[in-house]
Amino acid sequence: MIILPSKIILFAVAGAFLTGILCSLIGSFIVRMNLSSLGFCMSHAAFAGAALGVVLSFSPLMMAMCFSTVVALILGPVAEKAKLDTNVVIGIIFSLMISLGLIFLSFSPGAAMSSTALSILWGSILGITIEDILRLLLITSSIILMIVLFFKEFQAIMFSRKMAEASGINTKPFYYMILFLTGITVALSLKLVGGLLVFALMINPASSAYQFFYDMKKITIFSPIIGVLCCFLGILLSFFLDLPTGASIAITSSLIFGLSVMVSPKRKRG
Amino acid sequence: MIKLKNVETVYEGEKTPVIKDINLEVKRGEFITVIGPNGAGKTTLLETINGLLEANGNITVFGKDIKKYGTEIRKNIGYVPQDFFCDSLTPFLVKDVVMMGRFGKIGLLKSPSRKDHEIVEKTLSFLGISELEKKPIGKLSGGQLQKVMIARALAKEPEILLLDEPFSNLDLNSRSDISEKISLLNEKGMTIIMVVHDINSIPERCERILMINNGKIIEDNEREKVLRGAK
Repeated sequence: MIILPSKIILFAVAGAFLTGILCSLIGSFIVRMNLSSLGFCMSHAAFAGAALGVVLSFSPLMMAMCFSTVVALILGPVAEKAKLDTNVVIGIIFSLMISLGLIFLSFSPGAAMSSTALSILWGSILGITIEDILRLLLITSSIILMIVLFFKEFQAIMFSRKMAEASGINTKPFYYMILFLTGITVALSLKLVGGLLVFALMINPASSAYQFFYDMKKITIFSPIIGVLCCFLGILLSFFLDLPTGASIAITSSLIFGLSVMVSPKRKRG
Repeated sequence: MIKLKNVETVYEGEKTPVIKDINLEVKRGEFITVIGPNGAGKTTLLETINGLLEANGNITVFGKDIKKYGTEIRKNIGYVPQDFFCDSLTPFLVKDVVMMGRFGKIGLLKSPSRKDHEIVEKTLSFLGISELEKKPIGKLSGGQLQKVMIARALAKEPEILLLDEPFSNLDLNSRSDISEKISLLNEKGMTIIMVVHDINSIPERCERILMINNGKIIEDNEREKVLRGAK
């Protein structure tokens, strides 16, 4: 076990707490809407952005956040205009982003620089700063506020977008809002668990919560609780076994999901 | 109340309109049944009236253009889709699904009030499905789900009710029960347009029948005249 200064541990724990809430909260929506690949797509948008940042000698993290945010902003309108399933557009943007990322990296000088962009895909919880925590805190509070304010509209869309429209809800802005909030969540979680593992943190805790409840409200409350638990257990695992933190959190969340499936009351007979 | 003038609806990627040359006027309090063979355009007609499909021509409901004021207009239209499906793990309870019918009416930034909850309870009781209130929607039988979707449409307390095959999945008793209740609602002034494929299930109270074939209204007449012709 490595001995770390208490400030680093404190920041890591605070970051884990907030990222756990943020990703898993949004995850409860995207799992229900079958948009699981969204997190993956956004992660690779971040990777492409970071690679461009490396080429232009500009902050890779800032560029990663810009790319994720732009993709999140255009995804909904593009899918709507092209009259395509959102998952198809996600697939196309994903391949575009990974290709752009590789092209940008081919222009960057040396393997060391490339590894800066690739580090965006893996993240580093121990490098989290007070500014990152404040940013996370701000966006987590904003997202919680939006979910509270528009919960009934989100709920109706998650049941059936067509029926929500028939109920007299203009679904388009709310649907775009979910996509956009997902993009922002990925962008801000990158530094903690990395682009690839943010995907696990979005999907696994939410999918675990779905194993226990039939009530969307309860799922939206318990998904972030499970997310926080995954982060803490993952960090502990990482400290004690000296494993990469992001990967430990992802493994923990996968194990919790497996356990949830096994004990799920939804799957029991009688 | 509802006016369609030279309306045609073409689905994305298709050249032939599913419904065409539709001219229709529905007065407040009318009960109309739409009949016709499979693929004739009955569902398309209902969804076009509801503004859920893009259509050419003029469609006004409550005197307003459905293309411009669709969201606003739909707050007063109850819609029951055909064969709605929910997978068994769908994370919604019956009472939540029924309440969703009122969301448009409740409006933005407002939570359902005590009155909204009372209306939901009253609607479930009206349809005789109060005991399903706390059941997961995905665990219902086809007939129960159909009744819940009708309750969802009615919870809105709509002025117009659009029903697409409301008797599908229902047993004989439930059919006659729902038929009576729909008639009662019409008696109280609700305008009803209902699509059915079985002419025997048309409620007695329905006085006007539209027959559609190949996307066109081929007959729009009094109940008896149309049924005599159909038989």
